Amino acid sequence: MEHLAVWIAALLTLGIISFLYKDNAWYKLSEAIFVGISAGYWFVVLFWDNVHGKFWTGVFPPEQYDAAGNVITEAPDYMLWVGAALGILMLMRLIPKIGWISRWPLAFIVGSTSGLYLINYFSSNMMRQVQGTIMPLFGMWPTDPTTGETVFQALPTYDIVGNVVILVGVFSGLVYFFFSKEHRGVFGATAKVGIFFLMVTFGASFGYTVMSRMSLLIGRVDFLFGTWLGLIK
Amino acid sequence: MRCRQPGHTPLLLLALILLFVSTDVCVAQSEPDPAGSLMADTARVTVAPPTSVIVTDHKYDNGDALELSWVPSIDDRIPGGKVVRYQVYRSVNEGEYLPIQELLPGSNFFLDESLHRDSVYSYYVTAYSRNDSAMSVATAPVSPQREWLHVDRAWLFVIALIISLAVFYFIRAARKGEDLFIRKIAGLEAVDEAIGRATEMGRPILYIPGILDMDDVQTLAAITILGRVARTVADYEIQVRMPVSRSLVMTAARETIKTAYQTAGRPDSYSDDMVQYVTDEQFGYVAAVDGIMVREKPATVFLLGAFFAESLILAETGNSINAIQIAGTARPAQLPFFIAACDFTLIGEELFAASAYLSGEPKQLGSLKGQDVGKFIAMVVIIIGVIAATLAQAWEVPFMQQVYDALTFVFSTQ
Amino acid sequence: MRREVPLAITFFVGTLLIISVFLPPAEGLGEDFTVFFDIIAVFAFFLGGGNLVRVHLTKLSRRKEDWPYSIVTLLGFALMLVVGLFKLGNPGGIAASPTTDGSYFQSIFDSVLLPLGATMYSLLAFFVASASYRAFRAKNREATILLVAAFIILLGRTPFGMALTGFIPEQFDLFQVPNLAVWIMNFPNLAGQRAIMIGIGLGVVSMSLRLILGIERTYLGGDER
Repeated sequence: MEHLAVWIAALLTLGIISFLYKDNAWYKLSEAIFVGISAGYWFVVLFWDNVHGKFWTGVFPPEQYDAAGNVITEAPDYMLWVGAALGILMLMRLIPKIGWISRWPLAFIVGSTSGLYLINYFSSNMMRQVQGTIMPLFGMWPTDPTTGETVFQALPTYDIVGNVVILVGVFSGLVYFFFSKEHRGVFGATAKVGIFFLMVTFGASFGYTVMSRMSLLIGRVDFLFGTWLGLIK
Repeated sequence: MRCRQPGHTPLLLLALILLFVSTDVCVAQSEPDPAGSLMADTARVTVAPPTSVIVTDHKYDNGDALELSWVPSIDDRIPGGKVVRYQVYRSVNEGEYLPIQELLPGSNFFLDESLHRDSVYSYYVTAYSRNDSAMSVATAPVSPQREWLHVDRAWLFVIALIISLAVFYFIRAARKGEDLFIRKIAGLEAVDEAIGRATEMGRPILYIPGILDMDDVQTLAAITILGRVARTVADYEIQVRMPVSRSLVMTAARETIKTAYQTAGRPDSYSDDMVQYVTDEQFGYVAAVDGIMVREKPATVFLLGAFFAESLILAETGNSINAIQIAGTARPAQLPFFIAACDFTLIGEELFAASAYLSGEPKQLGSLKGQDVGKFIAMVVIIIGVIAATLAQAWEVPFMQQVYDALTFVFSTQ
Repeated sequence: MRREVPLAITFFVGTLLIISVFLPPAEGLGEDFTVFFDIIAVFAFFLGGGNLVRVHLTKLSRRKEDWPYSIVTLLGFALMLVVGLFKLGNPGGIAASPTTDGSYFQSIFDSVLLPLGATMYSLLAFFVASASYRAFRAKNREATILLVAAFIILLGRTPFGMALTGFIPEQFDLFQVPNLAVWIMNFPNLAGQRAIMIGIGLGVVSMSLRLILGIERTYLGGDER
């Protein structure tokens, strides 16, 4: 059985890789299998996790007993019926005459996503990043834990230059994103510095992930030549 | 007169000394010898109890948590201490004390959650050695309190309110007819041209709204931009292909495109088949989209929304069919791939501004200016903060330390 | 009416959730609404799955291009539904998780979905190479900066980096590639990331406000044009 599984995996692997050469029947077959089986997989998982796991057991909680044999079943969560009601409204889309009511759960979701993440993104992306950028450039007066005295500690040149670079980078990056002014003159020059920093950021991400992408390929090659064909041990 | 006999006091003294010495000797003899005795392992290892056990209300919650803190036992020195664990005991409504949490040596804090506001709780903490224990004094009964406001998030509220008010102000200004300047964003200026190209070549447009669901802000951005693009597409009467990875996105997209066609006066040209659900599986979806790209060869590809590693696969495949590609995402890790492979990329904030920009409506553009106010606040605060921090830390300029502390406090987040 | 009610729903729900961040008694709302979303998403899946089946059945019945593959897709879908919903071959029976090791469901996942996903993922290695090659040939300044930074970070993570610049004396050891890579990651890269993130934070606030206030309403039914 395992042998069959390895063969199936190998043939599907080669089918996908063949796409790099050009679209062909083998790829189309692998793609069709991928789509069908994965769609079914996720439906089953979502059904058991959400419909059964969250909704059904929330509304009709299973009986539970503690060590002494007393009933400690959780109370049913009637709020979940709201979710079910909205879900049923969504299905009304199938009936043309009242299909418009499916906009209600859609509106609910849009409002929900917008409301949930507004403060969240503002706090973590704006406030926290601003706070992190406020720092002394040249030195610190840390308190010595044993004596309680504060002694001036100059930052090494490496850190001073680095902190100045961060300051210039964040400032010019924000200038680049400014919508209300044309990128001309001094403003434009600062925006150019900003895009320079952004390109360095993108290049760093790019370079950072290249190695991990290569290792993914090595993994597949190892499977094909090692596990399947047995050529590599 | 007769004299006292001189010999009594010394004798008494001698007797007392002998008594002390003999007691010492007796005690020394009765103490078991720790080195050689077989009974050494079962000797009681006594410990001192934890002290100063204090219970306080956990702040800014709905009255369901209490904080317990104590001074660890004086015998708890790591390493080599006698304490092997602590056990927290709790009594609910003056009932029996039950153990609720075991903690490692060195612990001095415990957060008790999932409590009830109407009940009273008291605690004690016990320090355990290998074979002995010592209880602390129990705390007085206490109920958790509910706080109505998250006072520690007050500054977050204030700053968010300032920026929101700026957005409202500019929206109102726009309504009154004030001219609001917004600079050109290359990727968005190219949208009309990209759609025009598809019309000329008689080939469809492919719109990919990312791979996450409607509970992600980037997907919302993609759907709102779709509304604008669909309007132009409806006017030009070109084909739209929109394979999606989530069923809810399919429903929202259909709704959006359908009404765009209705508004354009072409309701009959709309078909539900423009938007098709593929699969929730990330790479299954990508395999299918790649297939669509190479078989139907769209002239224009929009890659807008939340993407993960598959961003490069989609962008490169689009490149291989010589499609014009406009991409945008707020995931910094995927932006480099779009920049490298696509003709135009909307970087982060530009994705969220796109729909407003494309609408051209003054009200929508007003919100973009509100964003600029936020950026301006950020820039000003950073500059002032860095100057204050540097002056305070390097040259101990008076008052600057307070400015630095105030700014860091205001922008700290919970 | 048809447009007003949804807009009112969006406004009410959005405002409620924003306020709940600042009111401890309402803190549970966020979680509740996330569960509602999950439930709605599953109901929506009936629409999506139904669409999948309909599209492929249509392709099949009308003998459209590539129609044989639609049979494969439909069979795969049906197979997983039957095997998963009835938990066939599941060692734990009907009460266990569908993804229990040894169940037919999990076995198909392991032998089909895992290798397919891993292979698609591994295609990135080729695409990274082709993207880099094209960026290398690009003539503009921005692409050059991106490529140089990428190159330094890449080399910095391999032994070649040290080998190439190991000759640089200690006073200038910042210019040794691995050290330079670390410096780039910690300073200019961090600056750029922060600028992007601040922008995103503000962009989300702006878009969310537009949606909640009903200024942005394309998803519901067009605008006032």
